[in-house]
Amino acid sequence: MATGGSGAGSGSGGAGNDHYKRNTFTSYVAPLPGDMRATADTNEWCLPSDLRDVHLARPRLLPGEQIVASAPAYMYSPIEPMDSSINISHNNSNGNGMASVNDGGSHKEATFGLLSVTNFKLAFVPLHATSKRNPEAGVVTAPLCDLYQENTYLGRNEITLNNIDQIYTIAELGRAASALQAARMASHVSRRKKLEPFKQHNISGRIAALHIVCKNFRLLKFAFQQQDSKLSGASDHGKLIASALVRFAYPMRHDLSFAYAYREPYYSTLGPATGTSMYASKNDWARELIRCGATEWQVVSSASVPLLQNPLHAGKYTVPPHFVIPKSCTVDRFLDLSRAFCDSRAAFWVYSYGASAASLVRLAELQPAAQQDTKLENVMLELVRKCDERRQLKLLQLTDRLPSIQDVRRSYQKLRRLCTPETPEKFMLQDDKYLGLIEKTNWLFYVSLCLRYSSEAAATLRSGITCVLQESNGRDLCCAISSLTQLLLDPHFRTIDGFQSLVQKEWVALEHPFQRRLGHVYTAQGSGSGGSGSSGGNNGSELLEGEQSPVFLLFLDCVWQLLQQFPDEFEFTQTYLTSLWDACFMPIFDTFQFDTQAQRSKAVLDSQLVLRPVWDWGEQFSDKDKMFFSNPLYQRQKGDLAGAQSSAAGAGAAHRRSLAVGHNRGGTAGGASGSTPSRNTINPQLFATVSSVPQDRFLQPAHRICDLSVWDQCYYRWLPVLDIRGGGQPQVDLFHRLLLSNIAKVQRCLELQSYEELPDAYFEVTGESRSSLQKEETPVEDEAEYVDGVERRRKPTTKAGTPTNGFSPVSGNHLQLSSLSSFFPFGSPIAGDAPHQLYDILNSSSELLQDTTSILDKSSIL
Amino acid sequence: MESSASLADKLASKTASNNSLDSSSKSSSLGSKHGQNGVLRDTPFAYLDGEEDQDQKNDVTYVCPYRGPVFGALTITNYRLYFRSLPLRDQEPPVVVDVPLGVIARVEKIGGATSRGENSYGIEIFCKDMRNLRFAHKQQNHSRRTVFEKLQTNAFPLSYSGRLFAFAHAAAASAVNGGSSGWDGWAVYEPLAELRRLGVPNDMWRATKLNESYTICDSYPAVWAVPKAASDDFLRRVAQFRSRCRLPVLSWMNPRTQATITRCSQPLVGVSGKRNADDETYLSYIMEANAQSDKLTIMDARPSANAIANKAKGGGYESEDAYKNVEINFLDIHNIHVMRESLRKVKEACFPTTDDSKWQTAIDNTLWLKHIRCILAGAVRIVDKVETMSTSVVVHCSDGWDRTAQLTALSMLLLDPHYRTVRGFEVLIEKEWLSFGHKFQQRIGHGDNKHSDADRSPVFLQFIDSVWQVSQQFNNAFEFNEHFLITIVDHLYSCRFGTFLCNTEAERVTEDLKHKTTSLWTHINSSLDQYLNPLFPSFTQGAELVLRPIASVRALRLWKGLYCRWNPGLCVPQHGCQRTRELLSKQDQLFKHVNELRLKSNNRSNSMQTTTRLASPMH
Repeated sequence: MATGGSGAGSGSGGAGNDHYKRNTFTSYVAPLPGDMRATADTNEWCLPSDLRDVHLARPRLLPGEQIVASAPAYMYSPIEPMDSSINISHNNSNGNGMASVNDGGSHKEATFGLLSVTNFKLAFVPLHATSKRNPEAGVVTAPLCDLYQENTYLGRNEITLNNIDQIYTIAELGRAASALQAARMASHVSRRKKLEPFKQHNISGRIAALHIVCKNFRLLKFAFQQQDSKLSGASDHGKLIASALVRFAYPMRHDLSFAYAYREPYYSTLGPATGTSMYASKNDWARELIRCGATEWQVVSSASVPLLQNPLHAGKYTVPPHFVIPKSCTVDRFLDLSRAFCDSRAAFWVYSYGASAASLVRLAELQPAAQQDTKLENVMLELVRKCDERRQLKLLQLTDRLPSIQDVRRSYQKLRRLCTPETPEKFMLQDDKYLGLIEKTNWLFYVSLCLRYSSEAAATLRSGITCVLQESNGRDLCCAISSLTQLLLDPHFRTIDGFQSLVQKEWVALEHPFQRRLGHVYTAQGSGSGGSGSSGGNNGSELLEGEQSPVFLLFLDCVWQLLQQFPDEFEFTQTYLTSLWDACFMPIFDTFQFDTQAQRSKAVLDSQLVLRPVWDWGEQFSDKDKMFFSNPLYQRQKGDLAGAQSSAAGAGAAHRRSLAVGHNRGGTAGGASGSTPSRNTINPQLFATVSSVPQDRFLQPAHRICDLSVWDQCYYRWLPVLDIRGGGQPQVDLFHRLLLSNIAKVQRCLELQSYEELPDAYFEVTGESRSSLQKEETPVEDEAEYVDGVERRRKPTTKAGTPTNGFSPVSGNHLQLSSLSSFFPFGSPIAGDAPHQLYDILNSSSELLQDTTSILDKSSIL
Repeated sequence: MESSASLADKLASKTASNNSLDSSSKSSSLGSKHGQNGVLRDTPFAYLDGEEDQDQKNDVTYVCPYRGPVFGALTITNYRLYFRSLPLRDQEPPVVVDVPLGVIARVEKIGGATSRGENSYGIEIFCKDMRNLRFAHKQQNHSRRTVFEKLQTNAFPLSYSGRLFAFAHAAAASAVNGGSSGWDGWAVYEPLAELRRLGVPNDMWRATKLNESYTICDSYPAVWAVPKAASDDFLRRVAQFRSRCRLPVLSWMNPRTQATITRCSQPLVGVSGKRNADDETYLSYIMEANAQSDKLTIMDARPSANAIANKAKGGGYESEDAYKNVEINFLDIHNIHVMRESLRKVKEACFPTTDDSKWQTAIDNTLWLKHIRCILAGAVRIVDKVETMSTSVVVHCSDGWDRTAQLTALSMLLLDPHYRTVRGFEVLIEKEWLSFGHKFQQRIGHGDNKHSDADRSPVFLQFIDSVWQVSQQFNNAFEFNEHFLITIVDHLYSCRFGTFLCNTEAERVTEDLKHKTTSLWTHINSSLDQYLNPLFPSFTQGAELVLRPIASVRALRLWKGLYCRWNPGLCVPQHGCQRTRELLSKQDQLFKHVNELRLKSNNRSNSMQTTTRLASPMH
C-alpha cells in the first residue's frame, strides 16, 4: 500500500509494485510530522483474513490517477431505514437476495472494504462486491444495476475530491475493539469535529470514524477498526485517511486539480451538427443576434481590439473574449466606460425578444470608488436605450432584490444540513418540524425571488421594453435571472441543446466565477485564482469560503420548479438537471472549472490542460443513461430547431442551424463560400432582421413559496429512507415511455404491414392471446432475441403477470410495469422486473422522442 | 369489471372522457353537476330532484375575501345556498357561490340595527369545507331575518324536526324516473361476495350472520367473518370483554399467506388488569388461523399514555403476559379532539388569506402533516407485518371506529390493489367505515346546529387525505383521481346522498336508507369518466401490488387542492395530464386501426378461425 507519499514519503511498502512507486505529484500541504506511519502491508500477517483480502479491493484508477492513502474501513449507509423489516421484504419478494448484494448498509451492519484516497477521488471498494453466499445472485442482479446511473469515471461508492465540502472526524471514545463498536461510533456525533482546510491539524487521539459531507448533498460515513499491531505500534487508519483528505481535497491552486494530471486526449463526439452553441466564437454570438432579430447590437471580439491586445492596457479590463455591445457605441468608448464598472461589466447584450426586439442586458454596478458619480452609468444606460425601438428601458436592480452570494451560501448550508442527517434520531427530529426548518433555510424563498424577478424581466420584454439586469459584478445572480428570463420566453432554451447553449452563453461565456463559487480551489490569499480573472470585488484578505456560493444550484433549482409547473414544456428531465449539478464536481470536464475564459486559455497554454466540455455526455454516461435525460412528455414543436427550417420567417434560426453544419447559403451569406466555414465571419446585417423566436410559448410560472417544493431527487437521493419503491416521477415517466414505445411499435407494424411485433399492450387491450396468434410462426417464445445488442425478451404471455400475492382481481395475462424507485436513476437499485423489458421500452420510446416530426402529425398515416 | 363492452367503446371511453376533467377537477364537484334529472327553471343553476326554493333576495352583497364586495341575488333552497352577482361589466364573469346547506356548520348574524359602515350588517356562514361566507344585507328592508331563518331551518333540519334533503331528493327522483334506473350504488358492497373475494369461508374462517339483528353489537355489521374455531356462544362471551361489544372480526385476509387484519375495540381490562380467558383464547384462534406465523401482533392506534389512561375508564390494552405469543405496539395516533383542533388550524392557515413568507411554519404548526404521518406510518407497519412477516394483525384503539378504521382501511388499500380501483375503493369505504360503524352522523353533525359538539372530528377526512398522500407518491397506482376524492369529501357534508348518513349499519337499516335515499356511488359511477386517473395503466397492472409509502413529513404535502381550493390565488392550475391523454388516445387509435386491418386480412385469408377472436369480451 502506498503511503501518503509526498516528498518525504518513504513508505516502507515494497517498491516493486507500480502502485508503490514513489508518487510524482506535489504535496498540497507539507506533510504532518508523524503521520507517515507504516501502513497495512507491513503488518499484514497479523490481520484477520478479511483484512488481508482487503488489498484485493483496489479501486479502478484512471490514467494519471494515483493512490495517496488507503485503509480498510466500514462504510455505512447515511441512515438506516426506519423499519428494518422493510429490507427483509425485498429478500422475500424476489427470492434472489438482491438486497444483500448491493449495499450491506441496508442490513444493519456496514460494508467492509478498502477506502482509498487518490488524487482524483475518494473510493470505497467493498471487499465482497458479490455476496459469497449467493454466487449466482451477482449475475442476476448485474443487468438491473445497469439501469441505475453509472458514471464512467466514478463507481457507486466513489466521489471526486472536488465534491468534498466538509470532513468531520469522530474521535475514539474508549477503544473500539469490534466492528459493532465501530458502528456505534460511526453514528456517534458528540465527538464530531470538523477538519478545516489550511489548518495544521494535529489530530490527537485515534479517529474512529469519518463523516464526509459532499457538495451534492451526499453524506458518507466510514468507521475504522482499531488494529493492535505488534510490529508497528498503532496504525491509525482513520488518521491516515483524514490527513490525506485534508491535504488533497482542499487544493490551494487550481493546477493541482486532477484535471491537469488526466492527460487523456479528447475526441469530441459533439459533432458540428449538435445544436449546443458554445459561444466561444464571434459567429456564435452573431447567430444569436440574428435569431433574436437584434439589429442594434454588435459583437466585439477582444482579440481584434488593439487596446485589449496591448499588454500595457489589457490588465485594466476583464472582459470576456466575445461580447455584444450597442452599435451606436465604438469599442474604445465602450471600454473606456467599462472601466467604471466592476469587473468591466458594462452593458452586455444577451437576448432580444419580440417583434420590436426588446433586449435583455446585463450590467454590473459602478466600481465602489466611482459610485458617487452616476454619470457614467447614465451614459451607459442611454446607449442601451438607443438600441430599443421605442427608446424604453427598465432597470432591474438585483442587488437590492435578491440575496447576496453569502446569503445563498448560508441558505445552502442550512438546507444541506437538513438533507444530511447523521442518525435516524436526527432525521426524525428534523422531520417533526420539517416545514419550519425548511422555511428557516430561506432556500425556497430565494428560489421564489429568482422566479419572481425573472418573470418580471420576461414580462418587461414581452411588453416590448428593454430590460437591464444590474448586479454588483454582473456575474452571479445576474446569470441566474438572465437565463431564467430566457427560459420563460424562448422554447428553444427548453430543449436540451438550447439549454446547454443557454448555460454556455450566460454562465460560461459571460464568466460566472465557477471556480470560486463552487470551491474548486481553497486559498487563503486572493491570488490563487491563477490569472487575469480575479479582480474587482475580490480582495485578498477574504477567506475563500466567502467566495463560495452555489448560485448555479439555485438556478438549477429554479429550472426544476419550472419543470414541475410545466412538465411537458421541457425536453430534459430532472435527472438531467441533477446530473448537471453532479458534473460541476468532475474536474475532468472544464466547463465548470474556471472563473474566466482567460483562465481557461492560460491553463491550456501553460499546463496543456485538455479541454473537455461537459455537454459531451457520452464521455460520462452510456446511451442508456443519456436516455433518462429526455422527457417523455416533451413534444418537439414546429417552432423548435428542426421545424424552424421550414418556416419562412425563421431565416435566422435556419441559418443558425445550417451554419453550424457548415453549409452557407451562398446568396444570403454574402457570397461567403469558403471551404472552411469557421473562418467566415457572419455579418448579421446581411440577414433578415426579424426575430425567429415564437412569441406564443412563453411561460408564466407561479413563484410564491407555497407554489414551490423541495427538489427531492437532487437533495434527498442519498437518503434511502425517502426512496419510494415503485413510486414517484420515474414510474410516471416509465408509463409515458411505455405509451410511446407502444405507439412506435404499432407504427412500425403499420409501415411494414406485418403484425408480428405488436406490443404486449395491444393484446391486453384487445383481449386476444398472443400465444394463439404466434403458434404457427414462433413455437418457442421464451427465448431472448438480440436486437441491436440489447436483449429483448418478450414475456411469455401464458405466465406473465402472475401476481406475487396471488389475488389478482382480474384475470391474468397482465403486463407488469417494472418497479423503479422515486430517486431513479439515483438511489439504490431495487429488485424489479427484468431490465431487458425496460431497455426495450427505453429504446423504442426514444425513437419517437428523437423524431423531429410530431407524433400526432404521424396520425395522418391513418 | 365491466363486461361486454365492445373494443371501440372501451378504447373511446378512456380518452374521450378525460377532457371533462380539466375544467372541474380543481373546483368543487357540487355546483357544476347538471344531472339529467336536473330541472332547469329560470334560475342559473339546475335544480336537483326535490329541490325547492325557500327564499330569494335580490339585494344582497357577498363580501368576497378576494374580490371585495359584490352585489347580487341570493337564493336559498332546501338543498343549497346560491348567490350570483349582477355583472357590472360585460367581460367579467359573475361571482357565483353555490354551497349545499349540509356544508354549513354555523350561521351567525353580524352587526345590529345600529351598525355603521358598509357591509357591516348581515350574515356570516361558517362551513365545514374550510371556508366562511359573508353576506351583507341592507338594514332597512329586513331581508336578513328571513334569510337567517330559512338557513337555520334548512341547514339544520334535525334541530328543527325536519328531514335531511337526501330523503326528499330520492323520493322526487324515483317519482320522476319511476323507481330505480340504471346501476344502484347501494349494491356496490355485498359483504359475502367481498369475503369470497378474500377466500372466506375457508378452513380457518367462516362467515356468520350472528349479528343479523344487531343484538350482539349494535355498531357492527350484520355479517362477520370470524375464526372457525369460535362458536356462536363463544363469540357472545368474547364480545362482553370488549368495549361496546366490538370483538375482533376479520377485515382483510391475504389469500396467499392467510395472514389477516382483524379489528376490534379495546379490551375491558380496567385498573385491576382483569383477564378474560375467552378473549385470550379467541386471539389465539386468530393467530392459529394463520399457519405462517406463531405470533400475533396487536396494533393499538393510541399513544401508549392514552392507552394506559383508558384503564381508569375500564378500558386498556392487552398485556403481553396474559396473551401468549402476542406483541403489542402503540402507533401514537392522537384522538379526535386533537385532530379537530389541528384541522381548525389548517383552516386558519389557508383561509381566507395566507402569508407566503410564513406559509411553511404556519402549516408546520397545524401539526396536520405530522398526524397524517403517524397514520401512514401505522398503516405501513401493519403492511409490513402482514405482507413481509406474514403475521396476523389485530388493530384497535379505544372504541375501534375512528383510528382503527383509518388504519385498517389504509393498510388494506396499500395491500390490495383491488381497493385502489373506483369500485374497490367504494367497497372499502362501505366495509371499513360504514358497516363497522364509524359514527358519520356524530363526527360530521349532519343537519345539526350543535357546531361545537365535541364529538365532531375530521377522522374520515384525514383518511381521505392519507389516501391522497399515497396517490401522490404512487401516481399510477390508483384508478381514480383527485377529483374523485374531493367529490367524496364534498358529499360527505352535502346530505344529498344517503351514503354518509347515520352512525351505524343498524341505524341505516332502521331508516331504510337503501330505499329512501340515493347512494353517492350511484351518482359517481354514472359518470365515471371524470373520476378516472389517466396514469392508471388500463393495460397493465399497477406497478406495485403492495404499496409502502414513505411516512415522513419530507414526503408529504398539504393538500392544497382540497384545503385551499376557495382561495383563487392558491390554486395553481394543474397542467395535468393533457399530454398523457393525447398519447393514450393516439395509442388507442392505432390499436383500433391495427385491429381493423388484421380483422380484414384475417377474414380474407382464413375464414375458418377468425370469427370468435375479436368478438371476445375484454375480461
